[in-house]
Amino acid sequence: MTWLVARRELRQRAKTRAFAISTVVLVLAVALGVALPAILSRNAKPERIGYVGGNAATTTGIIAEAGRLAGVKTVAVPQPNEAAAEAALRSGDLSAVLVGDTEVLVKQVPLGGVSGGLATLAQVAGLSKLVETVPGAAAAVAHGIALPVRGLEPPSKPLSSRLTGLFTVILVWVMISVYGSQIALGIGEEKGSRIAEVLLSSLRPIQLLVGKVTGIGLLALAQAAAMVIAFVVAGYASGSDLVHGAAIGIVLTGGVFVVLGYAFYCTAFAAAGSLVSRQSDVNSTILPVQLPLIIAYILSYTVIYADSANVFYHVLGFFPPTAPIAMPVLYASGDVPLWQVVVSAALLAVATVWMARVAAGIYGRSILRTGARVKLREVLSR
Amino acid sequence: MASVELEIDGLRRRYGSVVALDGLSFDVPSGEVFGFLGPNGAGKTTTMRAIFGVASLDAGEIRWRGRPVDEQARRHFGYMPEERGLYPGMKLREQIEYFATLHDMDDQAAEKAATHWIRQLGLAGREDAKIDALSHGNQQRAQLAVALVHDPELLVLDEPFSGLDPGGVDDMRQVLAERAAAGVTVLFSSHQLDLVEDICEAVAIIHHGRLVASGSVEELRRGDRPRLAVRVGGDADGAWARSLGADLGEVEAVRPEGTVLISLTTGADSQRILDLARAAGPIEHFSFEDRRLSEVFREVTGASVGQAEAEHAAAGVSR
Repeated sequence: MTWLVARRELRQRAKTRAFAISTVVLVLAVALGVALPAILSRNAKPERIGYVGGNAATTTGIIAEAGRLAGVKTVAVPQPNEAAAEAALRSGDLSAVLVGDTEVLVKQVPLGGVSGGLATLAQVAGLSKLVETVPGAAAAVAHGIALPVRGLEPPSKPLSSRLTGLFTVILVWVMISVYGSQIALGIGEEKGSRIAEVLLSSLRPIQLLVGKVTGIGLLALAQAAAMVIAFVVAGYASGSDLVHGAAIGIVLTGGVFVVLGYAFYCTAFAAAGSLVSRQSDVNSTILPVQLPLIIAYILSYTVIYADSANVFYHVLGFFPPTAPIAMPVLYASGDVPLWQVVVSAALLAVATVWMARVAAGIYGRSILRTGARVKLREVLSR
Repeated sequence: MASVELEIDGLRRRYGSVVALDGLSFDVPSGEVFGFLGPNGAGKTTTMRAIFGVASLDAGEIRWRGRPVDEQARRHFGYMPEERGLYPGMKLREQIEYFATLHDMDDQAAEKAATHWIRQLGLAGREDAKIDALSHGNQQRAQLAVALVHDPELLVLDEPFSGLDPGGVDDMRQVLAERAAAGVTVLFSSHQLDLVEDICEAVAIIHHGRLVASGSVEELRRGDRPRLAVRVGGDADGAWARSLGADLGEVEAVRPEGTVLISLTTGADSQRILDLARAAGPIEHFSFEDRRLSEVFREVTGASVGQAEAEHAAAGVSR
C-alpha cells in the first residue's frame, strides 16, 4: 500500500514540466559551474615555472616537456637564486620552481596531494635526473620516480575544495528545502481538498505519510544523483581540479548528508503540512521547520570564505537540525576530521528516528482535523 | 427482508462539551437502499467516518457480517464523503485507477474497472481531463466512480444528493438502486428527509446522536394510526370535524384550504367519518394519506428538522 502511494507521487511529479525543467537547469548549472573555470584556464596565460641551478638547456627542456604532457602552456623563467625564487612564488609571479635536480618548490602543496601539471613536472624532472645519473635507468622509468615537491607554506584546503563544499551545501539546501516544501504542499493539498478522508478510508495515516515522503524522496535522490554525476563527468571531461582527491570525498559526504538530512526533515515538513486547513497556508507553517537550515546555510558562507570555522559553527555541525548543511561545510573547509563527520551523521540518524515518531504522531492527529489551522500544542498534548 | 450486514452498536462520541453520538444503534440490511437521515449536526457524518476509522469513538462497535470492522474489511467498502475530495491536478482515469489499486486491485483490473465506471457514469471522453477541469456535476460523478470502482460490498455515501440538479438526483438514485439490486449494502445519509423518502426502502432517523425512528419507509409513513385527509366544500376551517369522537380519530391539523388531517383511532371505521363529513357538505377530497418523513421526525422529536438545524447552528458546532 505504501508503495502504491509512493508510486503515485513518482508518476505524477516526474512527468510535470517543472520537474523536467528543474532537472535540466540544475544539471546544466552544475556542469557549467565545474567545466567553465577549467576550460577558461586552458586558454589562460601560460604557467610561469622558475628554475634555479642545473643545466639551463636541460631544465627548460624538462619544463617544456612537462607542460606538453600536462597540456599546459609553460614559460621557463630563470631565477638568480633560491631566495628570489621563493619570493616570486609567494608573490604569485611563479607557480612552481624547479630547484636544480633536487626538488620542486610550490607555495602550498594541495591537501589532496600533488596532481595535474605539478605532478608531471616533478615526474619529468625526476626521470631526467635518473636517466642522466644512473646508467640503464630507463628500466626504472616505469616506477615513475619523481622529485619531491615541497611547499613553502603548510597545506590548507585549496579554494577548489571550498568551492566543492559550496556546491555540496547548495545541493543539500536546495534538495531539502525544495522537496520538503513539496511534501508539505502535497499534504496541504490532500488535507485542504479533503481527499485525505477518502484516502484514509482505505489507508492508515502512516502508510500515506511514508509513501509520500518515499516517493518524493526517490525523486529528490534521482535529481541529486544527476547533479553529482554531472559534477563528476563535467569535472573529468574538462580536467577540472574540482574532482581531484579530497573534492570527491566532499561530494560523497554531501551525498550522505543529503540523504540523512532529507530523512530527518521530510517527516517534519509532512507534519507542518498537516496542520493547515488550506494549501495556501503551508508556507507559514513550514517556516519554523526551515529556520535551522536557513541559519546554517547563511552562516556556511562565512565558513567557506574564512580561514576556519568558529566554535558556534562547530556546534551546528553536530546539532542534528543544522548538521546536514554545517557538517559538509566543515569537512570541505578542512575544519573537522572524518571521524567527526561520522559521529555527526550517527547523531543525525538517531535524531531522524525520533523526529519521524514525533512527526508521524502530529500528522496522524491533525490530517483529518478540519476547521481552523491546528495549533501545534493541541496535537502534541493528546 | 434481507439479512443484516452492517451493525451500528452503541456508538458514543463526545467533542469537548458537545455530544455527537449518544449510544446510537441500528442495523443495515443488504440488498436495499438504506437512508440514514436526520438534521444537520445529528451525528450522521461522525457515524459514517467511524465506519471507515477516520473518526474515533469513545464507545461502541461497528460490525460487518458479525465481526468488528477492520482494515481488511474496509478494503471492500466504498466511501463518498460529504466534503468531496479528489486530486485537482490528476487526470480522471489515473485518479480512479489509483483508488482501485488502493483497494487491492492489480493494475490491469484497475484499468478495466475504471473504464467500466467511466462509461457507466457518463464520463466517457473525459478520461484525460484533470479533475479541476471537470464541471461540478462531472466532479460528483468522478467522486462516485472512486467509491464504486473496486466493486465494494458496502457502499457508504454521505449526503450524495446534496448539490445535485434533478437530473443528477435521478442518476444517483438509479446507481444506488442498481447497486442494491446487485446485493450491495447501500447506506446513504441525507438531511433532506422528504427529498429522499422515495429513494430508500428503509431508514434510520437520528437526532442528537440518538436513533429516534427506524424501519421501512412504508411503515414509518403509514404510522401506527393511518391518516385520513378530508375536505368538505364550503368549510374552510374544517369545522365539521370538531364533532369527531375520540373513538374515531383525532384531528392532527387543518390545512389552509380546509383539508382536515385525522389520525384514525385503531380499529375505527373510516366510513363513519365519511358519513360525518358528507352530512356537513359536499365531499371534495377523501383519502388515506401517508405522512412525510419530516412529519415523522416532528412527531417523534417534537421539533421540525429546520428547528433542529437552527438549534444546532446556534450551538456553533462545526465538525
